[in-house]
Amino acid sequence: MKKIDYKLFIFVVLLSLFGILMIYSASSIWSEYKFADEFRYLKLQGLYFIIGMIMLYIVSKVDYRKYLKKANIILGICFLLLILVIIPGVGTIRNGSRSWFGIGGMGIQPSEFMKLGIIIFAAKYLSSNTKEIKNIVKGVFPILMVAALAFALIMLQPDLGTGAIILVSIIGLLFVSGVNMSFFIKIGAIGLLGLAMLIIAAPYRIRRIISFINPWTDPLGSGFQSIQSLYAIGPGGLLGMGLFNSVQKHFYLPEPQTDFIFSIISEELGILGILIVSILFIGIFYRCIKIAIKCDNLFGKYLVFGITFQLAFQTLLNLAVVVGLVPITGVTLPFLSYGGSSLILSLISMGIVLNVSRDT
Amino acid sequence: MFFKDIHIRMRLFFVIVIILFLTVISKVIYIQVFEYDKLSKLSSDLWSRNLPIEGNRGIIYDRNFTILADNITTTSLVLIPNQIKEKERAIKELSKIIGVSEEEMSKHVNKKTSIERVHPEGRRLSFDIADKIAALNLEGVYLVKESKRNYPYDKNLSHVLGYVGIDNQGLSGLELQYNEYLTGEYGSIKYFSDAKGNKLKLNEIYEEPQDGVNILLTINNEIQMSVERELDNALSKLNPEKALAIVMDPNSGEILAMSSRPNFSPSNYQDYTLEEINRNLPIWMNYEPGSTFKIITLATALEENLVDLENEHFYDGGSVRVANAKIKCWKAGGHGDQTFLQVVENSCNPGFVALGRRIGKEKLFSYIDKFGFGEKTGIDLNGEATGIIFDLDNVGEVELATTAFGQGVSVTPIQQITAVSAAINGGKLYKPYVVKSLLEPETNSPILTNEKTLVRNVISNETSKKVALALESVVTNGSGRNAYIEGYRVGGKTGTAQKVKDGAYMQGNYILSFIGFLPADNPKVVVYVAIDNPKGVVQYGGTVAAPIAKAILEDCITALDIKKSSKGTEKKYQLWEKKYVTVPDVTGKKLNSVKGLLYGFDVNYTGSGEYIKFQSPKAGERVLEGSKIRILLGDK
Repeated sequence: MKKIDYKLFIFVVLLSLFGILMIYSASSIWSEYKFADEFRYLKLQGLYFIIGMIMLYIVSKVDYRKYLKKANIILGICFLLLILVIIPGVGTIRNGSRSWFGIGGMGIQPSEFMKLGIIIFAAKYLSSNTKEIKNIVKGVFPILMVAALAFALIMLQPDLGTGAIILVSIIGLLFVSGVNMSFFIKIGAIGLLGLAMLIIAAPYRIRRIISFINPWTDPLGSGFQSIQSLYAIGPGGLLGMGLFNSVQKHFYLPEPQTDFIFSIISEELGILGILIVSILFIGIFYRCIKIAIKCDNLFGKYLVFGITFQLAFQTLLNLAVVVGLVPITGVTLPFLSYGGSSLILSLISMGIVLNVSRDT
Repeated sequence: MFFKDIHIRMRLFFVIVIILFLTVISKVIYIQVFEYDKLSKLSSDLWSRNLPIEGNRGIIYDRNFTILADNITTTSLVLIPNQIKEKERAIKELSKIIGVSEEEMSKHVNKKTSIERVHPEGRRLSFDIADKIAALNLEGVYLVKESKRNYPYDKNLSHVLGYVGIDNQGLSGLELQYNEYLTGEYGSIKYFSDAKGNKLKLNEIYEEPQDGVNILLTINNEIQMSVERELDNALSKLNPEKALAIVMDPNSGEILAMSSRPNFSPSNYQDYTLEEINRNLPIWMNYEPGSTFKIITLATALEENLVDLENEHFYDGGSVRVANAKIKCWKAGGHGDQTFLQVVENSCNPGFVALGRRIGKEKLFSYIDKFGFGEKTGIDLNGEATGIIFDLDNVGEVELATTAFGQGVSVTPIQQITAVSAAINGGKLYKPYVVKSLLEPETNSPILTNEKTLVRNVISNETSKKVALALESVVTNGSGRNAYIEGYRVGGKTGTAQKVKDGAYMQGNYILSFIGFLPADNPKVVVYVAIDNPKGVVQYGGTVAAPIAKAILEDCITALDIKKSSKGTEKKYQLWEKKYVTVPDVTGKKLNSVKGLLYGFDVNYTGSGEYIKFQSPKAGERVLEGSKIRILLGDK
């Protein structure tokens, strides 16, 4: 067995540890207020990190080719969990979405599993149907239907952000697998149409879009989070307020340790924090793409690229939201935002990539 | 070949990722650099709470930097409800200490506001109460400095100074007029708070409050206190409706003192009516001046060379016919043959009617205008009245005649003293003023200084000298003798004016006045005193107002350090010689009808009624002029 890509491993560990530090800084005030324990989120995220690292180690030892055979079962389990979670009484509601299996204070988000499960399935599908893929109806359509079904189930929770990540990462995989460019133009058109439909179905989304264009129109309602995020980034300035010195985490920004962790990093560490985060992420993506390119196995190639694409898309979506380039979608920042399922699944994904790296 | 295509697309993807990262970083830099100021300000407003600290209100000084209004530092209770953790204890203890019901206190403590003042019970606390509150050591309970206006001389100069309300805002007088200057700027202790209002452990920012501008007045407090004392005495002795006095420097228009009764205590303004507080009588009241107005007629006649005071004679038969009216002299039977100087000394009405006729209405009224009557003097105080002068078209024989001796016109005290100052200071009409300068609070260096303002030249220097000397002889030889001061050349003129109500003269209701100045050859100070409807006294300006003016003038001599005049400068202005006169028969007569006969006696009334039942000494006895005559009053 060859060695894993240590550079990637180090980037991942550094980013996760940095995340734990910033989660502590961002959450301590809320944590003290809610649980009378300023270290609660720190302890939990630390625990998730340890679990995640163990899983990463195990997964990095497991030959990725085994997933090729188990891909259908994995996808099936993921679908089952997604169906279960939307059944009232089984899934619990958090932040307006029925997306959790609650176990005490902790919880499992099946949509996080689906994110990985569908990548494995798509990698298998695309690598074993290289000929049919040029045919839109016979090749592309079936895998799109699977993604659309996953998307639909997640939208029942509802969780637009995760749904979009799943859909877009499949499209990303289709893109590298050699589907004609004209297809993506059509997909873009359908996507816009779909977006319009979604907005009609749930008018709060249009408020988010309006508040994105001008958050000050409704500073206490839909523009609230955007403004509070800007209040964190702006006054921090290029040098930041110093580690642990954020003002916005003092109840101004709700749940600062989750979606808006990046604005707290910016507030406390200024441009330095932004560069640390960006360099670590870019480093991870660079190593991953390199692994994907070096990998001779088409399934492995697609698997690594799918995971990378998904992470990159989610990362950039989160950052774009936080800095006000894109309307609020409710997507977490991989490795940095607080959340057990998200961190553990991200680390497992990295374990898979590291295992593939042994092949190169 | 197939792999190559995949790799190109993967690398393309990575390039796009890099581009997007750069976009995000650029946006962050854009926010942190270009929107920094805007967002910092907005967020600072969001994060910070201010504990306001009041700047001291400017001090008001008299001309010698005697403090007339300053501030006492007190503390006030300020609550920041969100920071109060022990709400129950705060409610209980605070309500006990400042004497508010627990219910009331609970409202303050639980109010959804960033900063709460307990008004008014928690304002301006004494030190022992503040100490008790500080000893509680309650979080979220603050004591902030708040100053309270202090008037060390209480009612002294109250109408000019005015008063301030609970928030130290000027509500009348100079306090109102110069409120913008006097008010300091608020400073603050700015602290950062979280979204729930709790104090954050970030540094507090202290912004120093800015004290208000100080004001230096032209007032001389020594003279002012003399005026206040004399008015108080007049009030207790004479029980008048109103009383007022003004002291002015005739050579600049600076007001040295100004007061009136009723007055008020600025610290306890709640106990007075708005009329009492707002009516600054020396500039607001207007009434018929009576004989003091004769100075204007005299000055005009002299300026126009229409009379030779010493050599021309006038015969007063007791009355004069004007058109269809008969105008009586105030002295029954008249003054007989007199020089025009004696006409002035005796304040003889028919004599002044004669002067008025010589002058003619156009000239007389044009001089009245030039002396500043019928328009505001422009003194730097609020609430000045204009007075009323006949419209020239409506002036007939009668109006010309009465105006010449001060009836039928209505003037304010400030117009009167300003005009007379011009008549005796060499002919220059100055605008009166009370604010000498505005001072920078730290160093007391002047920011803005008022200079004397010449309105116009009214009469020549020579005429003015003659007027002053004529008025000096009124004091040495005539109706103003009660203002005579040993060793000083005092000039003056009495005034006795009937008050008008609903267009008719009121019986037995007079405003008695005296305007006096010294030294007559080089006037340094002018005093005007008016007493409205005094009781139990002969109703003459010379007997009522002149002694008051004299007392004030005596204090002015000390306050302004005016030297004695060298004696015998002019022979004929010697000390008035004592004369013997015959006691008139007034028993059984109506009091009003014999007023003129009793002039020059010190009359002491007992009993009440309109008729004289008894007199002592008896008629026909020879007594010193100015002796006491006791009269018993009763009904017929």
